Amino acid sequence: MDFKALVENRHEYAKAWKAKTGGKVLGWYEPYFPEEIAYAAGILPVRILARHYPDDVSDKWIYACCYPVRDMVNQFLKGRYDYVDGLVNVEGCQWMYNSWEVAVNNNPKLWNHYLFLPDHTDAPTSKTVLRSELNVMKGLMEEWTGKKITDEDLDRSIEIHNKNRLLLKQISEMRRMDRPLIHGAEMMQIVLASQLMDKAEMNEILEKFIPELEARKPGEDRIRLMLIGSETWDTELEEMVEAMGGDIVVDELDNGTSYYWNNIIPQKDRLMAIGLRYLGRPKNPIKDNNWRRRPQHIFELAEDYNVDGALIVKQIYCHLHGTDNYAVWKILRERYIPYHFFERDTTLPIEDTRLRLESFMNMLKPGLTHLAGWHKAYGE
Amino acid sequence: MAKGQKWETRPLDFWNKAKELRAGWQKSIESKEKVVGQGNTFDLSFDWQAAFPAVTVIEDNPVGSMMQNKNEPYARKARLASEVRGWGREICGYQGNCWGAQFLGYIDDGTAWPDRKFVIPMPCVCDQHAKRGQQARDFENMPQWMADRLIYFGEYDEEREKPMLEHKVYCNYRIINDMERIFGQQFDEEECAKLMAGSKEVREYSREISYLMARTIPSPLSVKDLYSVYTIGGLTKIDPDATVQFWRMVRDEVKWRAENQIAAVGNEQFRFIEAHPPSWHYMKYYRYLEQYGAICLGSEYSHGAGSNYEVRPDGSIGLRVDKTYPDDMEMTTREDIIRVGSGALARPAGGFKTNEYIYRDRIVQFAQFMQADGALLAIWRHGVGCTLTRKEQAMYLRDAGLNVIHYEGSQPGDRTDLDEKRLLDQLDTWMESQGLRKVTE
Ligand code: SF4
Ligand code: SF4
Repeated sequence: MDFKALVENRHEYAKAWKAKTGGKVLGWYEPYFPEEIAYAAGILPVRILARHYPDDVSDKWIYACCYPVRDMVNQFLKGRYDYVDGLVNVEGCQWMYNSWEVAVNNNPKLWNHYLFLPDHTDAPTSKTVLRSELNVMKGLMEEWTGKKITDEDLDRSIEIHNKNRLLLKQISEMRRMDRPLIHGAEMMQIVLASQLMDKAEMNEILEKFIPELEARKPGEDRIRLMLIGSETWDTELEEMVEAMGGDIVVDELDNGTSYYWNNIIPQKDRLMAIGLRYLGRPKNPIKDNNWRRRPQHIFELAEDYNVDGALIVKQIYCHLHGTDNYAVWKILRERYIPYHFFERDTTLPIEDTRLRLESFMNMLKPGLTHLAGWHKAYGE
Repeated sequence: MAKGQKWETRPLDFWNKAKELRAGWQKSIESKEKVVGQGNTFDLSFDWQAAFPAVTVIEDNPVGSMMQNKNEPYARKARLASEVRGWGREICGYQGNCWGAQFLGYIDDGTAWPDRKFVIPMPCVCDQHAKRGQQARDFENMPQWMADRLIYFGEYDEEREKPMLEHKVYCNYRIINDMERIFGQQFDEEECAKLMAGSKEVREYSREISYLMARTIPSPLSVKDLYSVYTIGGLTKIDPDATVQFWRMVRDEVKWRAENQIAAVGNEQFRFIEAHPPSWHYMKYYRYLEQYGAICLGSEYSHGAGSNYEVRPDGSIGLRVDKTYPDDMEMTTREDIIRVGSGALARPAGGFKTNEYIYRDRIVQFAQFMQADGALLAIWRHGVGCTLTRKEQAMYLRDAGLNVIHYEGSQPGDRTDLDEKRLLDQLDTWMESQGLRKVTE
């Protein structure tokens, strides 16, 4: 299955879905958006993805901001998302909020909603606030679509979403092998496609794909890297790493592992169950502000996936990762996990990035015993 | 107003008192007897800390901006110390300065950085507020508490408010209880209730001051004057009684000036507003513009009036009436006090930073209230909360007939990107293009 093509053809896919079902497409921005509720209403939730298009319009509306936010404004103002019927933003990154509200202000016909999801995720009262807000959002979606969302609809949606996350995790587990059957770029395309497609359809694709994957032959030993930092919307970097003999065996990105890491534990109160999943998912910087969980989670992933080093890649103007890096660097240093930090902007400068990666990987190589063929010693 | 008209102007009497109070605050934060925390007011009252026998809370914003003001090379060094440890260049300069100072271990005069013993980030829509404090806790283990700035769109909704209010009360209650437990200090409820009453009185004075500045021509006070005392009792916390007395004194003097047409700017002929904090390290532009007869009346940030007043459809100005608890509400238990102190509204009624979310065009009302002719809107490369939606606000203001310009800088407490010469040139063009000329002695 060519997952990259699925991601590239996302606009056509959504338009075709609309034509086929007559349903509504809802764009979402934040990694904390509970797609389950929209899906239960018969809506197709699609993640708004940034791309590298020339931008001559966003400056009038916004200042500073990371490039993804600019690009999403650019795309909306240019009508690239004209098939989207609604847009929702969840309390989170403020630049992202800015992107959402500019899109909404310029498209008065868009149904829109701002969902408050507490930044303080840990108080006993946080979950009641979120449950109440989810209920409001559910009601508004019912009004918008003219469809009552029943418990059965929610159960079905939860099941489909849980299954999707389990399948993604199952694939991800194959990256823990000494010589993973799937590399970082392809994995990221799969996760991105899951954020764009009808989940039930995606699950079928993944169920067919997994046996194919298991039948693959392991390749050569590669330098095992972890990717940390601001979310990304393409796989240029992962591809570059692979072309140089490395592999992103795990990431800690909002639109990577964090998207599928934890599941909904069913309970009678469906909205509460959904809310708890989002409050408890691996924290991104804005939500990791009471207890410090993110650095520890990063360390656990690094251990579990046996990484040789980490790439910390931040978008320029990403104030949230700019505020978290200190703690991430600190834990990696404490555990002697080598890392390389750099910032990315509108495009990834090819030569510059290649040079940096090459130096980093060359620095790692001499200490890597697995590159000398450990797997052979274990008869793999 | 008539062009070229001149009014009497006089120095402000409260100036020296303000100086004295600020010096007292500086001493208090250096005191070794107190448990020093870093953070901000949560919702209770500006002075809740005074209900503990020995707690001092230092807020980064004034500390960070003072560092930049007083000692540019030191502030730069502090930000570099943050950056080499991983903090981004695009984060708020207040924090870059403060955390850098913590890494360096000393403040600009060489004395030790006052160690923090706890952290309470301010619940605020600005992401940087929410994230603040982590560094102190990552740097050295210490308790940290959290709360939320609660936002929803649309009309006031009692059903939505209920769980949000409980959340707010819970967070505040927990802070107080935990502080007692951890630091072994008894929180004095009665004192807290008294402090809350004091805060309320101060709010009334500042509301009156805003009204007088806005509605009197010539304005009796410029925002430059207001900023010199702005944080007293709030972000720079002093004795609560002294706070009330001080603000009463300011109100009386401003009122007297308004009644007697004593102008802040003797040749006032152009009134303008801003949208957020100015470049604290370069406030010279206010005085510079006064040469053109231009007076700055502040922003929704500098006036709670951003949310306190409204322009009604018939053009009249009225006090915005927001839901409050009744004045005589019984407060017997700690929970009662905290509940009342947390306010009757979970979602803030409006004002700076909330308007950027829910009431984006309220800035136009604010400009009308201030009788402004123009707006000078700073846009900050490293200030997410203070730049968000600013360009859109400029469009709304232009549509309402105001003359608007932007200037760029890093952040109000970080002068790296502010080209001062260019700013003055821009201001000359702004003024001259409207036919205003500098007054030459
Ligand atoms: S990259 Fe960073 S600044 Fe940009 S939208 Fe994501 S979290 Fe926000
Ligand atoms: S609003 Fe601006 S100045 Fe205030 S904390 Fe946020 S970034 Fe800093």
